[in-house]
Amino acid sequence: MSRASAAVLAALLAAVPLSARAGAGDLPDLGPSVSVDKLEAGGTAIVHPMDGAPVAAIELWYRAPSTGFAAKPVSSLARLAAQAVAASKPLVGPGLGSLVNEVGGRLAISVFPDSIEISALVPASAAQRVVRTMTTAYFAPVLTTDGFGAAQQDVVREAALERFNPETLLRDTVFGELFSGGPKHYPPLGDPNAVAAVTETEARAFATRAFRSQNAVLVVSGTVDAGIVKSAASGRPGSEDMNRDEAHAASPLATAAPETLQKAFDLPAGGYGWVGPRIADEREATALDFIADYLFRPEGGVVSRELAQSDPDAFVVGQFITLYDPGVVFVAYAGKRIDAVRAAVDRGLALAHKALSPAAFAVARVAFEYNLLHELQTPTELADNFGWYTVEGNASYAPGAGGRDGAYFKAADSLTPEFVAAVADKYLTPTPAIATLGPQSKPAAK
Amino acid sequence: MKAVALTLAAGVALLGAAPSPAPAPARFPAASSSYDGTTRIFVESDAGAQLAGLQIFVGAGLARQTASTAGVAALTAECILRTPVAGVPLRDAVAAGGGSLEYTVDARSTHFYLEGLADRMPALTGLVTLALATPGFSPGAVAAARAQLEARVDDSQSNAIATGVEMFRRSYYAGPAGSPALGSRSSLANLGAAEVAAFFKANYVRGSASLSAVGRLVPELAVAEQNLIGALPEGTLPALSAKAPAIPAESPRIVARRDVGAPIVVVGFAAADPGSADFGAMLVLQSLLSNALERPSTTSLGLRERSVGAFYLYDATPASLIVYVNGNRVDPSLAIHGLGVLAASLAQRRLTPEVLRRYKSVAEGAFLNDTITLADRSYLLGAFGSLGYANDPVNAALTALDAATAADVQRAAKRYLQRSIVALVLPRQASPGN
Repeated sequence: MSRASAAVLAALLAAVPLSARAGAGDLPDLGPSVSVDKLEAGGTAIVHPMDGAPVAAIELWYRAPSTGFAAKPVSSLARLAAQAVAASKPLVGPGLGSLVNEVGGRLAISVFPDSIEISALVPASAAQRVVRTMTTAYFAPVLTTDGFGAAQQDVVREAALERFNPETLLRDTVFGELFSGGPKHYPPLGDPNAVAAVTETEARAFATRAFRSQNAVLVVSGTVDAGIVKSAASGRPGSEDMNRDEAHAASPLATAAPETLQKAFDLPAGGYGWVGPRIADEREATALDFIADYLFRPEGGVVSRELAQSDPDAFVVGQFITLYDPGVVFVAYAGKRIDAVRAAVDRGLALAHKALSPAAFAVARVAFEYNLLHELQTPTELADNFGWYTVEGNASYAPGAGGRDGAYFKAADSLTPEFVAAVADKYLTPTPAIATLGPQSKPAAK
Repeated sequence: MKAVALTLAAGVALLGAAPSPAPAPARFPAASSSYDGTTRIFVESDAGAQLAGLQIFVGAGLARQTASTAGVAALTAECILRTPVAGVPLRDAVAAGGGSLEYTVDARSTHFYLEGLADRMPALTGLVTLALATPGFSPGAVAAARAQLEARVDDSQSNAIATGVEMFRRSYYAGPAGSPALGSRSSLANLGAAEVAAFFKANYVRGSASLSAVGRLVPELAVAEQNLIGALPEGTLPALSAKAPAIPAESPRIVARRDVGAPIVVVGFAAADPGSADFGAMLVLQSLLSNALERPSTTSLGLRERSVGAFYLYDATPASLIVYVNGNRVDPSLAIHGLGVLAASLAQRRLTPEVLRRYKSVAEGAFLNDTITLADRSYLLGAFGSLGYANDPVNAALTALDAATAADVQRAAKRYLQRSIVALVLPRQASPGN
């Protein structure tokens, strides 16, 4: 869509009630309380006005490969480029980092294999300024040498700290096993050496190509009104829509049977990974979310509760990572009695293959729905939710869309014990990718 | 260290910049409160929320313990969560009904936080009411609760900042209010069913309880709240002492060794209570101390990444202000020196309008960003409501921040920041030959 036609459309849409506007054309329907528009500069704008605390979460999401667009992958490239843009002082006005800091907000940049998120949580009174500054920074990115230098220092520190996070190490290892190439094969953040090796030229080229207004999803959630998107900056003249192949870089699945990868680490820990359904297979994806919640929900999950009694020092996390195609089931665990912890995880996973009794299933589903809504109560959680599901290609399936009347909760309502068990059989039966960490382990020997 | 010194210099130099207009004040939806002559209930309704949250405050805080019963407040609360209701422990019954239940023990209170699907909250509140009416304090239940607390106590030992804060509190309050929130392994070992039952009977009384509800509140919830209050016996607790021993001028130092990777220094100051004339200024000082010595970063730093940070602990009376220094990130002795220079400077000179505006803005943003979950909102509503802001408590606290002047900040810096207790948490010494 050209900028001119987008502007005409925006003007027409402005006269239409929000509930009718959502779902118009190729825009997703995110329910009556969420407005979805095309930005004048291209790209999608999602606004979710809320009551409550006078704050606003402002996020920009981009679908782009974390390792860059070149044939040779560059680890940490997307993360560093995004940080460098935020750190660079524009010719006019404050830098994004400075502005968010001045208003007492929080600025975060997260990178995933196929997407990048720039997120600010600020007082609602500053929301318009932050929308303007954030979109100005990322719709026509300026990357200065000083900004790049400061960003590189920050991201090196972040990467160094993340090396002590067993969950991140296990997830990166499992993804590296499941996918033989493409962005999903490589750690999105990378290690400090990888960050230090990225050049300013590489970062600038990536920023120019990835951070286009046409490729952006702007999400604002909080005590704001839908008109806040008018504060967004215009895009870079002459830039074009990112084509589908650019945004959806292939990450081919490994063809060989997964191996067990071992890495040295201070604490004993382990992880499993299976390939799951794509995001479009809503009922199956929801069933895997249900299984993860039933088994691994902190404090309440079957495995979590068992470990709280037997191994209070243990840590376990289980999730279905909803992705465009395919998703990934990921389980990580750690504890001093690592064999006992792994055995508890295995017993829990075995349970998933058996259909629960109707009464037990009803209780588990109520708990599942509550836990979902518990994690969708703040402006940032909701903005994350809309942004993630939009860049992964199925915005209307976002659990925050339409609340308990939305597509996600309808899928949850449609689950049966037998269907959930069948989904477990289908996706959790194949041999998983296995990663182990431990003080006695030798470095990775693939 | 150079970065810290430069940042400090920049912060002090800003004492002379030009003013700019103040932003519009941020406010929460107005809260209401009711009082039936016994118990106060605060309400902040949010019809757009999917969930509701209910904070139940009872006056059974650390300050109600004695030297021989340290940990009994947490043990009692843990037993209540395990009380059988409809055949399963209360916490599980709440989870099965579409909610969650947790508790926190602080100096003044034990507060239970119940959250759930809005339409199920009356029933969930009813489950808590049953447990409070007939709590399970059998020897077996107490033993299971003790084991759970011991595991949490062990876990907390590796948190250097929490250890430092605990050391400061113990020294500052010099009484039960400063005891560890969960007790210690040795203190818990001395507590049995009799001690727990006695603590419950003495402190879980209607006249010293309060409720705060936020989120989507269905009409039936008000009835359930009244039933919950009615489950508590009548009675009112005696007022707590609002004083702590004065901090000596020579800045006492306490040292502990733990299994931590690098030293952590906690510098604790006395602080103004909510509702006092210095409260708004104290929030500004927290913001200044937390940010003026930190290295600049484009993205916000997490707890592990920060060199220096500040917590304003107004849950206890009197309140305190904590500054921690992360030895992994900065030379602690230099940071403490910088902190002393900054504290002296703040007491000697008033902030310029521009610097005051900036740090009030930062303080307001930080306050708001810590108040976005239903749990946080309900806690602050109830806590501020019982700490001097009875009318629309959270907005009253924000108004106090808005009203703080440069003279207020200078006065508060003189009054509170010139004496401190320093707690050092050091790595355990390596054994010989290691």
